[in-house]
Amino acid sequence: MTPGVTRYVDVASRFQARDATTPAWLQRVRQEGLEHFARLGLPTTRDEAWKYTNLSPIADGAFVPSATAGSTAELSAVVARLALPGPRLVFVDGRLSPELSSVAGLPRGLTLKPLRDALVEDGALLEAELGQRALAAEQAFTALNAALLEDGAVLRLAPGALSEVPVQLLFLTRGDAPVLASPRILVVAGEGSEATLVETYASATGVSGQGFTNAVTEVTLGDNASLKHYRLQSEGDAAVHVGGLHVLQGRDSRFVSHNFAFGGVLARNEVSVTFAGEGGDATLNGLYVGRGTQHLDQRTALDHAVPRCTSRELYKGVLDDRARGTFHGLVKVRQDAQRTDSRQQNRNLLLSEHAQADTRPQLEILADDVKCAHGAVVGRLDAQALFYLRSRGIPRAEAERLLTYAFARELVDAVPEGPVRASVEGLLAPKLPGAPRTEVTA
Amino acid sequence: MALLSVRNLHARVGDKDILKGIDLEVGAGEVHAIMGPNGSGKSTLASVLAGRDAYEVTQGEVLLDGKPLLELAPEARAAEGVFLAFQYPVEIPGVGNLHFLRTALNAQRRVKGLEELDAMDFLQMAKEKSKLVQLDAAFMNRSVNEGFSGGEKKRNEIFQMAVLEPRLAILDETDSGLDIDALRTVAGGVNGLRSPQRSMVVITHYQRLLDYIVPDKVHVMAGGRIIRSGGRELALELEEKGYGWLGLQDGKAAATKGGEARR
Repeated sequence: MTPGVTRYVDVASRFQARDATTPAWLQRVRQEGLEHFARLGLPTTRDEAWKYTNLSPIADGAFVPSATAGSTAELSAVVARLALPGPRLVFVDGRLSPELSSVAGLPRGLTLKPLRDALVEDGALLEAELGQRALAAEQAFTALNAALLEDGAVLRLAPGALSEVPVQLLFLTRGDAPVLASPRILVVAGEGSEATLVETYASATGVSGQGFTNAVTEVTLGDNASLKHYRLQSEGDAAVHVGGLHVLQGRDSRFVSHNFAFGGVLARNEVSVTFAGEGGDATLNGLYVGRGTQHLDQRTALDHAVPRCTSRELYKGVLDDRARGTFHGLVKVRQDAQRTDSRQQNRNLLLSEHAQADTRPQLEILADDVKCAHGAVVGRLDAQALFYLRSRGIPRAEAERLLTYAFARELVDAVPEGPVRASVEGLLAPKLPGAPRTEVTA
Repeated sequence: MALLSVRNLHARVGDKDILKGIDLEVGAGEVHAIMGPNGSGKSTLASVLAGRDAYEVTQGEVLLDGKPLLELAPEARAAEGVFLAFQYPVEIPGVGNLHFLRTALNAQRRVKGLEELDAMDFLQMAKEKSKLVQLDAAFMNRSVNEGFSGGEKKRNEIFQMAVLEPRLAILDETDSGLDIDALRTVAGGVNGLRSPQRSMVVITHYQRLLDYIVPDKVHVMAGGRIIRSGGRELALELEEKGYGWLGLQDGKAAATKGGEARR
């Protein structure tokens, strides 16, 4: 084991030894996570899936889990700024803060529980569901998350349950210490249910925040169920973030992922969707905006395992200074998956000489009656458009900001108008100041 | 004193000389037409005046109201009152037409030390001005030129000119590609903006435009120079006899091309 791996193994071993009253099944999940992590080790750039991403900030960092959320009263102003109207659980440095959380107004048919409560109260369900979508045996960070399993959330939707208000999970790091947060989120949506889940990740200290968040979300959508999932990651520019979202879609189910990656010196986000029933529909939207020396790594995997499913994917990157963005999008269409309809687009805008984007669409198509399209672009601001704006009197810097925001806004506009859109705009504004002030329309 | 003075202007793109000594004086309130076959340098002149950086000025000077223009950035020229109606207006997805135009107007007003217009006041003014070229309100809410027809794009250019109120408007082949109804609308808009304080340089390939926008002076460009200047009758003579009449080598080619639909 490398020194980095040894350090995390020690951290997880100490965590597991701390509490002897843990139910046997949970002990086993954690222990297996630890064993898988020790066996897999941290990925290197020699691993195909991590080719573009140097993990030394993770290997070299001395991150440790926080014992408790600590006193969180002073964070109420930050929470007020980031919270959406509706039920929410708030976590500070990876630990549940009951005083900042509020599940008032949770619609009928929805159950939202802190993971630490569910581990005690709903052992049978969790034992059956945890680790089914995110496989600790195959991915080191999932394994590390399992080894430190404790906090997070369980959202259950009863069959036919409908929720208009978004449910929010707000993960705050204080950002002043090298804390390792390992939230696990489990969503189980019954047949015909519909809901919106928002995961917000932020540093209380703003852009200077540090820490390491290693989050795993597992989603199982029943037949004809529908989930809109938002991931708003705007941790500090010194933070390290690894996120995995793993989805299994039942027959005729709909899944929409809006993935916004703005923060972190190193941020990796993975979305994987498997169609398990015919007629499923998945939309994966992503916007990553980096500056300074940020490295923002996106990976998506769509597994068309059954016929007649539709997937739409649009990821855009805006990279300034020495930032680097990577996109790797895998679309797998299995032999039986006839009538698959899949489209993937990745577009990158480089704002400086030293910014870099790597884009890698990867299609593996084994069925013959399919519609699959993909495209990838890396470009700069359009010189013609820039001159046009300047010729009307708009100063160069302002024109560049306008055009940059224009490039990104397609993904902001894809969010339905309302509090979630406003939250996205609020988090994006400091990164892309070209957003129009509200315009009166003719 | 002339509002615009172009003196011995030379410009090139790469190592290709395109303007080879242009002299042009346009007085306040005057409308000058510049005609000429394709490749004569008409559009290059327009681009150089507006500050497009693809061109390198190698000699000569341009004065606007006595002040040197060529050292200014495009946005500074706009604030000084220069406006170019583009031959090919650029589509800018994601930037709303109204937001763009208000940003432009307010940027110019800041330079002039004027108070910025808020969204309400601007909208009222823009609606009023849009009547000039019969531009539907729906166009104002769309992205700049995105999905506009050729005629709509050209009307949008004149609408912008109406809002920005330049001292010097350069119309680069604003008539190209327009059918006669659209041409009448655009020309009507331009005529509505004629004033003793506003000069115009109207660049065109076709005499037809000058039936609707009647110029004070006509210049014929060829090979990067102005080879003939005169009154309106010069345009009529050109229409009758073709560019070949002036002994231009590429006159024949130009006459043929003029008959084609151009994009």
